[in-house]
Amino acid sequence: MALGKIKADTLEHSTAGTVDTQYVVKGSAKSWINFNATGTIATRDSFNVSGIVDEKTGITTVSFTNNMQTNANYATMMGGHDIADSEDFNSQHIFVNRFTSSNYIVQNCNSASAAADWELNNAANFGDLA
Amino acid sequence: MSEILVNKLTGTSTAGSILVTGEGNSTTTNLQQGLCKVWAISNAGAAASDSFNLASTTDNGTGDYTFAISSDMGSANYSHPIGASLADGGAGLGVSIASKAAGSLRIGTIRDDSTKTDCTNISLSILGDLA
Repeated sequence: MALGKIKADTLEHSTAGTVDTQYVVKGSAKSWINFNATGTIATRDSFNVSGIVDEKTGITTVSFTNNMQTNANYATMMGGHDIADSEDFNSQHIFVNRFTSSNYIVQNCNSASAAADWELNNAANFGDLA
Repeated sequence: MSEILVNKLTGTSTAGSILVTGEGNSTTTNLQQGLCKVWAISNAGAAASDSFNLASTTDNGTGDYTFAISSDMGSANYSHPIGASLADGGAGLGVSIASKAAGSLRIGTIRDDSTKTDCTNISLSILGDLA
């Protein structure tokens, strides 16, 4: 069966409402990832991620398969924990540093504000594809 | 403008995979993979004021909340960006993940001094593969 292509500006469900397809295109996450930055870093699952690189303690570069637009004005949301499946509620921080159209850097630190690798890192990116 | 009236979108080659042309018109993105599978806004673990695909919230104690998913994820390997804020806005606040499973996510909200605290707004999102 040949692949089909539908062009439309609106999608309408019988009960759940109507959405302009611009919200489908612009509102969908263009990339997301769940990865472990301890030891040999590893991606648990991801979408539109070509790879991750352990730059040094607490710093990981995440690269896209299909790049975002060159202005790199996409939004990134993150969360995580230094130890996966732990009820250890220590204060700690995860933040993003240096956006480019093809990658971004995730940084982790511990409660003493020192760089630290985390077992559980999550990020999602919203914005325009190239 | 054109309009499609439909209750369900299904891929032709693979039922769970539909491509959408990106903003730059040069690449495509996968519709199912890019959709947020769960989102919620909750105040200190109380019932969510608004949500999608969320079964319930449980207040386990100060700064300790469990979110149960209605239609489970395929595994616990999903991505879950979360934000939280305090009413006073004057102290640093972090969000910690206590446990995660295909059907639930337990989080803690912690001040900079590592004490758990209730927060006024928790914005939760989950991206990944549905079961």
